[in-house]
Amino acid sequence: MNEMAEKQKLVEIKNLKQYFNIDKPNMVKAVDGITFDIYKGETLGLVGESGCGKSTTGRTIIRLYNATGGEVLFNGENVHGRKSRKELKKFNRKMQMIFQDPYASLNPRMTVADIIAEGIDIHGLAKNNAERMEQVYTLLETVGLNREHANRYPHEFSGGQRQRIGIARALAVKPDFIIADEPISALDVSIQAQVVNLMKKLQEEKGLTYLFIAHDLSMVKYISDRIGVMYFGKIVELADANDLYSNPIHPYTKSLLSAIPLPDPNYERNRKRIIYDPKEHGYSDNEEVKLREIRPGHLVSCSEKEFQEYKSHYS
Amino acid sequence: MEKLLEVKDLEVSFQTYAGEVKAVRGVNFDLYKGETLAIVGESGSGKSVTSQTIMKLIPMPPGKISNGQILFDGEDLVPKTNKEMEKIRGKDIGMIFQDPMTSLNPTMKVGMQIIEVLIKHQNMSKGNAKDRAIELLRLVGIPSPEKRVNQYPHEFSGGMRQRAMIAIALASNPKLLIADEPTTALDVTIQAQILELMKDLQKKMETSIIFITHDLGVVANVADRVAVMYAGKIVETGTVDEIFYNPKHPYTWGLLSSMPSLDSDEKTELMAIPGSPPDLTNPPKGDAFAPRNRYAMKIDFEKEPPMFKISETHYAATWLLHPDAPKVEPPEAVKRRMKNFSSDKLRKG
Repeated sequence: MNEMAEKQKLVEIKNLKQYFNIDKPNMVKAVDGITFDIYKGETLGLVGESGCGKSTTGRTIIRLYNATGGEVLFNGENVHGRKSRKELKKFNRKMQMIFQDPYASLNPRMTVADIIAEGIDIHGLAKNNAERMEQVYTLLETVGLNREHANRYPHEFSGGQRQRIGIARALAVKPDFIIADEPISALDVSIQAQVVNLMKKLQEEKGLTYLFIAHDLSMVKYISDRIGVMYFGKIVELADANDLYSNPIHPYTKSLLSAIPLPDPNYERNRKRIIYDPKEHGYSDNEEVKLREIRPGHLVSCSEKEFQEYKSHYS
Repeated sequence: MEKLLEVKDLEVSFQTYAGEVKAVRGVNFDLYKGETLAIVGESGSGKSVTSQTIMKLIPMPPGKISNGQILFDGEDLVPKTNKEMEKIRGKDIGMIFQDPMTSLNPTMKVGMQIIEVLIKHQNMSKGNAKDRAIELLRLVGIPSPEKRVNQYPHEFSGGMRQRAMIAIALASNPKLLIADEPTTALDVTIQAQILELMKDLQKKMETSIIFITHDLGVVANVADRVAVMYAGKIVETGTVDEIFYNPKHPYTWGLLSSMPSLDSDEKTELMAIPGSPPDLTNPPKGDAFAPRNRYAMKIDFEKEPPMFKISETHYAATWLLHPDAPKVEPPEAVKRRMKNFSSDKLRKG
């Protein structure tokens, strides 16, 4: 991901909106006009606290929800909008999802082989049964399980193993882009590293692009090339992973980073927590608050006035 | 310092259809007055069962305390009947659970749930108890407690519910507070608030805390001492500095190097601990960690290691500490930590 010039946009999200309970008193603007691009072969991390809209963003991109507004371009083509079954199928093959809960996301009545091969069957990727099973066996081995597991049921596996099955299922249709919604938060620490290492290895081997949604910021930093921070349905900061951690600009990012406890007692004794209050910006009604580029590749949500301040401060 | 709790050779097992699960297999630890002991381990390591056994909250049957003593203020809790325990639970020992939604009574006003404790254990009148309940809610940082006291749990957010749980647990000034993953379900900023609150209250009330978690960041933040559990046993115990900057057990090494630190060089692969924890219906012979241990020696598969002493406060159960064992290099991430330990000591010396 170093050759800036070579960067090719795989997914473009433009002013995406996802509202729930529209026109009712309890209307929720879960995703409220976000814009960003995901480049081919990179991992974009999306972090934020519960309710900030990060999972909804992922689910709307893959069209599990119909967007309220805005568009998602995949390889230049709009994912939302009118589509025939055939066109949709084409998208579904290219985009896959890995879910948070490895217990709820696998059908308990299906064998592992049938779970993994479901996509293969739907898209007709195997000519006959022998070929189908051969693909299943290869996938199982790719994710670190073995072929004997094919005829078992999900309940016979541990959480980490189930997450591997979920990854094998996503890989079965040879996607370009995988949305991983908190793929490791339900797993034990020692197992999390196994799954993250596997995801990194697969990305290198198959040139996959990831949108990695999580609230565990140290894991996100580890796996991501760039990170977006969400707050109340909006992206407040988007930057290169290392840059975001070493030079956070938006006060919410600072507050989020200062709240994470690290496994280092000396650091913990001296950690000062920064508290964020959205009122501190003091935006007036006619100020336009949007993502602006403070440094090359470092975007921060701010008003024109703040933009000048940040610029003189941080670049 | 004075000991509040001594757990000796505790063994707990559960009868299941698949056979007897030995969830806790000989656990020993002490807890001093006013300190925080963190118990860390993966799911199934026996950390929650240990704490629930102290409260005698495990269902018996199928659960069984097959051996050991739990001395609380010098008194053994193991032979106590349920009736006797009811006088201790909620009064001398308070507990905070992971999930505040399922551990509060949804049909009862939050205030009433605190008042109940005060009337039962402090013999307060209802009027006094209500005033005290409001005071407690204010103490744990709930805004406008006069209004909140008359609300139901569903009207509270996750963080607020956890605060209410803490208020209930603290209502009777317990000597011991057991917190079982109290912040796992919460967001980091709310987690930070709850941890600050607990530390604050501990200072004011001199409560001893057993803090159960799998989050090593939280451990570094709250603990005075740490016990690392694996497969129903404590494999290493020491002060928080000893565990984080001078760990000796390969399992502790594994835990510490399997998570990225925010300042780590991201291009190095995480040192995952291979495999998964053993099945405790049939615990392996020898050291239970041996099959996942890249430093395992022949003896690890045959004989269980005893606790080796490293310092007055630091013990670890690994054959690597035996005088005849070969010298091994800990993983890079751990070696970097060890540098901190020595420099830390120099500064103090």
